[in-house]
Amino acid sequence: MTTTRPLFIPVILGTPRQGRRSEHVARFVLGELSKREAIDTTLIDIRTLAFAINDAGEAIKDAHFSATVTRADALVLVVPEYNHGYPGLLKHVLDTNLKEYIHKAVGICGVSAGGLGGTRVIENLLPVLRELGLVTIFWDGNFSSVQNLFDATGTLVDPAYLKRIDKFIKELVWMAKVLRYGREHVPREQ
Amino acid sequence: MAKRSALRCPQCGVEMNYHAEKINYMAALTEPDALDPDYGGVVEEVHTCPGCGTVETRRAVPEGE
Repeated sequence: MTTTRPLFIPVILGTPRQGRRSEHVARFVLGELSKREAIDTTLIDIRTLAFAINDAGEAIKDAHFSATVTRADALVLVVPEYNHGYPGLLKHVLDTNLKEYIHKAVGICGVSAGGLGGTRVIENLLPVLRELGLVTIFWDGNFSSVQNLFDATGTLVDPAYLKRIDKFIKELVWMAKVLRYGREHVPREQ
Repeated sequence: MAKRSALRCPQCGVEMNYHAEKINYMAALTEPDALDPDYGGVVEEVHTCPGCGTVETRRAVPEGE
């Protein structure tokens, strides 16, 4: 059986911080994904996920969030770099699922006010995503000096990012297709 | 792990594809009887439906059981 349903690729906005510039990035990536007919997408803003903070892990699953990740073929994480690391709340949110991630693709868009485009936060996230069962792609989104990349309305002002995110999405889609086929048709060796 | 009958998708009834095993270390804390000492955690099978993409897991059965 070959499935023809569109790929579902949610964008996770990985910070709750007030004044976050990552929201512009997330909405930009969401918009670029939405332009592709074969992709369904949605924005998951971790600020709106009301997870308990007196417990952690799968014990505090949110049914809607877990169902969204279950349906997903791939994820895009938009993650600012805070003190060279990822936001603690993002890790708290990601840790609430496990089986939902297995053999699914993930791409990371790092965001920073400086010139490194979140490279360090991307590198720090890789082992976490691997342990969750996700498969990382080798294209990243690196949004350097984010305060200069969007105007006051959130519109991108540097067109180079259109080309860069196109490459990123194409690689993510390829991996998502391959992994969906694998999940659904390639049995594990017995 | 021992081979068992395929899971059927609870949504559409299609036979699911068993494509992964994952060690759940946290489950070993809450379900110590299920811990497989050879792996240090609870081994879970991961199955995906080729029809609708539904994901199901079940605890793997150690070989010899």
